Amino acid sequence: MYIEKRKLSQHEIERISIVINIFLIALFIFLLFAFWNVQILKNQYYTDLATSNIRKEIEIKAPRGLILDRKRRRLSENKINFNLFLTREYSRNMNRTVKTAAKITGMGPDEIKKAIDKYKGYPKAYAIPIRKDLPLGKVIYIESRSDELPEFEINIEPARAYPYKEMASHILGYISELTAEELVEKKGYKLGDLIGKSGIEKIYESSLRGTGGVRTVVKDNLGKVREVLDEENPTIGGSVILTIDLELQEYIEELFKEHNGTVGVVDLKTGGMLAMVSKPNFNPEFFSGPLERDKWLALINDPAKPLHNKFLQGLYLPGSVFKIVMALTALEEKAVDTSTVSTCFGRVKVYNRYFHCWKRSGHGNMNIYDALKESCNVYFYRLGKKLDIDVIAKYAQMLGLGRKTQMDLPNEKKGLFPTKEWKLRELKQKWFPGETVSVAIGGGMMNVTPAQVLTMISTVALRGRVPRLHILDQIEKDGEVVERYKPEFRDAPIRKESFEIVIEGLHRVVNDGGTGRAAKIDGLDICGKTGTQLILSLENPNYKQLVKQKRFMPHSWFASFAPRDNPEIAMVVFVENGGDAGAIAAPIAKKIYRKVFQ
Amino acid sequence: MREFFKFFDKFTFLTLLALVFTGIALIYSATYTSEQSNFTKQLLWLFVAVVAFFVVFKIKTEILFNFSFLFYVILVVILVMQIGAGRIISGTKSWIKMGFFYIQVSEFIKIPLALFLAKTLTKFSIIDWRSFIKLMIILGIPFVLIALQPDMGTAFMLTSFMIFAIILKKIRPVIVIFTLVVVIIGALGTWNYVLKPYQQDRIISFLNPEKYRQSTGYQIIQSKIAVGSGGLAGKGYLNGTQSQYKFLPTRHTDFIVSVLGEEFGFLGISFLFLLFFILFYRQFNVKPETDEEFYYVYLFNGLILFQFLVDFLMSIGFFPVMGVPLPFVSYGGSSLLAFFIGEAIIFKIKLNNFLNEF
Repeated sequence: MYIEKRKLSQHEIERISIVINIFLIALFIFLLFAFWNVQILKNQYYTDLATSNIRKEIEIKAPRGLILDRKRRRLSENKINFNLFLTREYSRNMNRTVKTAAKITGMGPDEIKKAIDKYKGYPKAYAIPIRKDLPLGKVIYIESRSDELPEFEINIEPARAYPYKEMASHILGYISELTAEELVEKKGYKLGDLIGKSGIEKIYESSLRGTGGVRTVVKDNLGKVREVLDEENPTIGGSVILTIDLELQEYIEELFKEHNGTVGVVDLKTGGMLAMVSKPNFNPEFFSGPLERDKWLALINDPAKPLHNKFLQGLYLPGSVFKIVMALTALEEKAVDTSTVSTCFGRVKVYNRYFHCWKRSGHGNMNIYDALKESCNVYFYRLGKKLDIDVIAKYAQMLGLGRKTQMDLPNEKKGLFPTKEWKLRELKQKWFPGETVSVAIGGGMMNVTPAQVLTMISTVALRGRVPRLHILDQIEKDGEVVERYKPEFRDAPIRKESFEIVIEGLHRVVNDGGTGRAAKIDGLDICGKTGTQLILSLENPNYKQLVKQKRFMPHSWFASFAPRDNPEIAMVVFVENGGDAGAIAAPIAKKIYRKVFQ
Repeated sequence: MREFFKFFDKFTFLTLLALVFTGIALIYSATYTSEQSNFTKQLLWLFVAVVAFFVVFKIKTEILFNFSFLFYVILVVILVMQIGAGRIISGTKSWIKMGFFYIQVSEFIKIPLALFLAKTLTKFSIIDWRSFIKLMIILGIPFVLIALQPDMGTAFMLTSFMIFAIILKKIRPVIVIFTLVVVIIGALGTWNYVLKPYQQDRIISFLNPEKYRQSTGYQIIQSKIAVGSGGLAGKGYLNGTQSQYKFLPTRHTDFIVSVLGEEFGFLGISFLFLLFFILFYRQFNVKPETDEEFYYVYLFNGLILFQFLVDFLMSIGFFPVMGVPLPFVSYGGSSLLAFFIGEAIIFKIKLNNFLNEF
């Protein structure tokens, strides 16, 4: 019956059936080959791609080494910053995300929007830094809601902390993100890495910097970490131990609360600095966080130059402190001896010009001891007439002036000590003998750093051994000493007798009612020299009025050492616009000696 | 009843169930890391589908063919209404709400369409201009309506009916040439004026997925990685990194093949090939008692074959991403229900065939 219903013949149906069966067999063979090709032949290729999809190696930044004082107190250490990042791609609703971010960070919604807008051109998957150093409570809030807030991510970053804030900032320096130029120069750094920019942080960067670790994780398509496969721990950088004594440093900084200037205290046995203060100073932590333009500009435009390390970078006239060099030169060159007497009438005419002594009434008869004790200008003016500038320059440089101390801190200034040849070369002018007269009392075309003055006074204390100032004691890694500073001294070829004569003069300065008598401590034979470096010339008609203004007050020097025999400590105190050295610098020095020898 | 058990094609029915349960296992894996209960829903749909299967199985095929035009019209009307007021889910308006479930009407129109086309095809011995236009209208109305939703993938699947109609019937060569010209012009016109840029990208990106790595090429790349990294035996159930870590898009529906390929490897893929081969072999080789039954068997099997082919080829980047489910395997109640109803008719035809031979 069914045959009647069908117009298609049995033959036709069978033909179609055969065709479809052949087609099916061919199709399935083709499919098997196609999948064989992808799954078996290209398996390795796709397996690698699948692995790289989910595997991610995340760098774990190494904690930086510590900076310790000589008694291993922490001057610089590490903390952990929790930084908040936002990824636009994962945000379901940007308005809500901005609101949430504002709530979490306590920043205004406009501020958040501004932060996001900075990355307008970046791919949406880019993690935008929103805030550094998020409080722990907020971190927990975000981490516990990572499913609701997939757009937020907390990134843990070791950060630098300076427990004493401003203290010793010029020694420690600071770290901050490396610049584009540094990125090219330095090997092994990535954009956004922190690098030592000044001070110990810069000089010993390679020791302080640890070795980063790697965490291998499994992440999903949103980049969320699902599993940690492997963790290679970072190693902390080496500890840098300084010769600095924290207590002394703190004490001196406290003394300088009201002053600008610098102090250096050196241990004469090693050349290691016990304290190095430069005021005003800055808080190094300021640079570790996000730099705010206004604050940054305020810092670099401050006329008191808080970023400037006055001890190594400040160039000043040494004033009467230079008379030590003049005395040594004259003794060595046999221009004077202990019996030479010179009479001071308050002024002296040299090369047809009057040069004044600071004491208008004059000092009367002076030998070399008294000339140092009273800091008599006239005595030294006469030496300036007798001695050649090039000879003075030879001794000055021998004693460390106008040359780098090679101290282990960055950006040291060389300063300048003039010679005839220098003047001809640089200024295309002949040296006038009258200039030597100015140089004789520490004036003229000379520029020295307080560090150089400290080297000079140390050399006198050590009777001709010039110490190399340094601040590093040793570097330790994993409890083992990897580098230790070996004290270095060079010799200044000056006779012992000359030193003894000058030292007798310096002893009288403090202990025999000289200009530095305010530094006297019974039982501690302090030897020193004051220097009151005028900003205004005494010849200025308005001297008396102007000098009352702070900025026209003279700089106040006191270079000294103690005890006289077997000296242990040398010190330079420099107070910017401090006034009379005997009244300002010398009493500060006294307090410091008391602190050291208590 | 005894006769029913004797002549009912139990083996093919078990094959169907094997496909569905394989699918449910894969759906479970595909949605394992997201907290969806898709696999239980699919089990529920299977129950509904089996009930529907036997209800339809009880109905005489003549009645089905006689009512096919009515069903066709009803579903077309629903499609028209949907264009105006459909709910947008996954970017298309193809869903209507039925109680707790969302129904995709475009899946169901395949059955009356196949029935009605089969009935129409029996009425002429050769496809001439008149009959060609008639076929084109029958097929074209739902095609356009579904394409407007817009659900290009499902609409595209309907073209398999035309391909099989032309294969099965003698056709005037001039019509074939004319059709080719129209298709080419139409394709160019559609490309330039109808397709939205994201749809264009979808089609081109399969030719060069690397170029569209961040957008439409992403799906193809991730799917190829999933399948390719599966190797011979796969990474193990619930252990596919591409699916568990969500690199695979729409993995419980369009890319279910990729989940299988990744977690069960070439062996898993071959197993599914075997099931489908059994299905096609047994369902194509039917000796129906009427012409319309014969055409229906080929049209409906052809649709399943076409959709099966697109899904597998898509997963290894041999075909543009279409957004169509793998019959019986992918998640989706409407698809499962529709294919079971369609299969019920073929089973019924086979049963009649056996009964008549005795």
